[in-house]
Parts: sequence; structure tokens; C-alpha cells
Amino acid sequence: MKAARITVLLIAIGALARAADSQLRERGKQEEQRSCIQCHSLRLVDSQRLSRAAWGKEIDKMMGWGAVVPDRQLLLDYLSEEYSDSKPVPKPELTADGTASKSNH
Amino acid sequence: MQSLIGKVNRRELLAYFAGAAGLARAQELVTIPGKRPMLLHNDRPEDLETPTSYFDTWLTPNDVFFVRQHIPRPIIKAESFRLALGGRVEKPMELRLAEIEKLPQHTVAATLECTGDGRGFFRPRVPGVQWMRGAIGNAEWTGPRLSDVLKLAGADFQSPWVTINGADVGLAKTPDFIRSFPMKKALHPATLLGLKMNGKPLPDLHGFPARLIVPGWDGTSWVKWVTNLDIAAEPNNGFFMNPGYRFPKYAVTPGAPAKPSELEVIEGMPVKSYVTSVSDDQRIPMKATMLRGIAWAGEERITKVDVSTDGGSTWEPAKLSRQDLPFAWRLWSIGWTPPHPGYFTILSRATDSSGRTQPVVGIWNPSGYLYNAIDRVGVTVEGA
Repeated sequence: MKAARITVLLIAIGALARAADSQLRERGKQEEQRSCIQCHSLRLVDSQRLSRAAWGKEIDKMMGWGAVVPDRQLLLDYLSEEYSDSKPVPKPELTADGTASKSNH
Repeated sequence: MQSLIGKVNRRELLAYFAGAAGLARAQELVTIPGKRPMLLHNDRPEDLETPTSYFDTWLTPNDVFFVRQHIPRPIIKAESFRLALGGRVEKPMELRLAEIEKLPQHTVAATLECTGDGRGFFRPRVPGVQWMRGAIGNAEWTGPRLSDVLKLAGADFQSPWVTINGADVGLAKTPDFIRSFPMKKALHPATLLGLKMNGKPLPDLHGFPARLIVPGWDGTSWVKWVTNLDIAAEPNNGFFMNPGYRFPKYAVTPGAPAKPSELEVIEGMPVKSYVTSVSDDQRIPMKATMLRGIAWAGEERITKVDVSTDGGSTWEPAKLSRQDLPFAWRLWSIGWTPPHPGYFTILSRATDSSGRTQPVVGIWNPSGYLYNAIDRVGVTVEGA
């Protein structure tokens, strides 16, 4: 019984952690959209794979160029997690006769 | 929200709310006018890479030529276009397009390569468009010599610098894209104010109506939508000259920052080659085939391309196409009959007229410029 209870507890903690992850991802994506799309599409951001330190430098460079980033910490957490240098780079999409589906932005 | 509405367009705002509502993807279509299928790195502003399969002709067609933009492009109408000549000139003036077209026109074949072509190969990774092999193309560029344009205003050719500004302007506080280059290169007979690309007026994406043609130099020097030429005593010191587009004088440890005092402006491009007739992960039948590719060397000429089909154990010289020119690439080809099925690592290594040869390892640098390591493609030969 005790083992079963612990299992249930672990599953619950796992679910909470996943929910927190997915919430961070959702909030991070929104932060990325409102911070970056003023000047360029998000494809340029999402095709990078950088260390946390490098992401921090990029954010600061863009803020220096006038990007308004309401929550720098959230954006940094999101980009470092979602587009970490430990993740593979997706192949760029091929446009189709002058058009391409527009990615999330 | 009010401030946001003022800054972004309606489509972006809709996409923003779509994101806020948790919708996974806004399935809108973005149009890239005048281009066949290309690899999309950024849709606004457009950054497009040429798939290597298009590199099978000496001239790269305009509708598959790569596009690199730092900031959103302007749309210029031929009637309202003016080119201002200023700085150290006898008579500052503005030229109309028709006046520029009246000057003697010259054509030069030249390879245009983005300074960051191949950035995606560097490890550790560096920020910037993750170009692989396709931020390059070869075209015939037509227009008056830059020196003939500058003469109209009585330019002081003893002054050491020419500063070039285009009609594109930065958003928010993004710096304006301004470049300077030495008078010596400005007066080179092959340096043109380009009006045509492969015989056609420059497409909007490529700088209509006028872009600088700086044969052999990095793509950053080929300023598009040129509106101002200024003769100057000093080089421009804006972001796109310093610290942008500089290369460490001495190689730095991969991942380490460069010393600002040791960064030098990039000018002529290095020697480089690609294997283009086959691509990574391709499966090919076990029969005689022709391996093909391209090789170029900035301001130099290509003198040799060696190819290996066994990962570099043995090398054989490839046949080079007849165009033996500075500035423009050459096509190479070599017949190959795979001796057995299995995986083969194909390499190409170019040598130029100044004796430069491609290195085994590209020189890592913080901005990912000038990648020119020996090209490497892996294919699987399937048995009969």
C-alpha cells in the first residue's frame, strides 16, 4: 500500500512538473512573441541553438537595439530551455513556389 | 496593449493573440515573390538559402539566388530614385537612375557569398542565421564602374575611404546599415554600381535599382538599395563596420570571446568548395556516377580541386570548368564508380592562384564568419 501511495505521489509530482513546464513554455512563447516580432519573424530566433550565456547576450544586444522585453528572466528561461545548444537544429523549411506555411508568429 | 498596437501590424497582432490563446500554429502563408522553393531562415525580413541542387550551372538564376537582409527592405520606385554623391567631392549632386544608365555599362561575373555562409557548421554554435552551404551564388552583374559614377561629382580620389548607405533603415534602435571601403577597391575596374543581375534589372530583394558590386569581397560589402556615396577621410565606425563583420587577427579558443582590439575588417573571401551533386544521407545506386561541385576563392582564381571518396585517405584532381577567372567560381566534376556498397565520405578541397588551400578544420570565431573547411558529404551506396 505504502509503495502504491508513493507511486501515486510521484506520478502527481511528475504531472505537476509537466504542467509547470508546459505553462513556462506557453508563457515563454508569449514573451518571445511580444518582445521580438516588432522587428523580425520568430523563425530567426527558433532556428538558433545557444547556451544560456549566449542567449543572455543576444537578449541584451536586442534590448540595446530597442527591443522592449517586459520579462527578461522569463524570456531567458524559455529560450535557454526550448532552444538549448544541446538540442538538434531543425532543417529549414523549404518554401513552396514562393510561399511557405508561416511558423508560429 | 495600446503601445503594442502602434508598433506591429494586424497580422502579427492576430498571431500574437493566437499564441496567447494557446493555438499551436497560425497556418498563414507567407509569400516570397519571384523565388522558386528555397530554404527559409527568416520570413521577415526574408533570409533565403539556395539548396545546393541548384548549383549545377555556372550562373545561378535570379529566382534561386540567396537573400540576406539585416533590416526590412525598402521598396524603391525607379522614377523617384536618387543617388546622392557627397563628402569630399567638388560638386555634391543627386543622380537619377536614367543618368546612371547613360554611363558606360560593364559586366563582371562574380561570386557573391554571405560573410556568414556555413555558420551552421561551427561548434560550439554561434548566434546568427544558421546558413549551411547555400548563402552563395554566381551571377553576371552589369552597371557603370563605381569610379565613373564618382567622377561625375569630381570625387577626390586621394581620399582613402568611400562610405555607402542604402535605403534600408533600422527598426527601433537597430543601427543603419552603412559600410565603408578603401578607395583602392572602389577604383578597381571590376567594382561596379550594379543595375542588372544576369541581364535583368536587379530584383527588389537584391537591391533594386542599384547595389554595389565588390567582386571577391564578402557579401556585406555589396550594399543594396544604394542611395548615398560619400568620399571620406575616415572609415565609418557604425555597428556594421565595428564590431560587426570583423574577424579575429589571431584565432581564439572556440567558445571564447575575441579581443576587440584584434578584430579586423573582412575584405577578400577565402578559398572554398562544395560537393553539390550529392547531399548528406542520400542513397545512390552502385554504378558509375559523376560527382560535381563548385569552387571559388574571393579575388583569386581556382587552380585545383581535389576530391576524395574515402574520407581523405586518397585524393584525385577533379576536372575544372573552362572559366578561369578571378572573382567567379568554377564548376568541378570527377567520375566515380563505387567499388562496393556501403557508406562513403566524399570530400572536396580547393586550391587557389595564391596558393591557399582549404583547411581540414574551419577557424572558429564568435560571429561564425568565413567558414571554409574542406567540404564533406556522406552517401550510402546501395548494392545491386
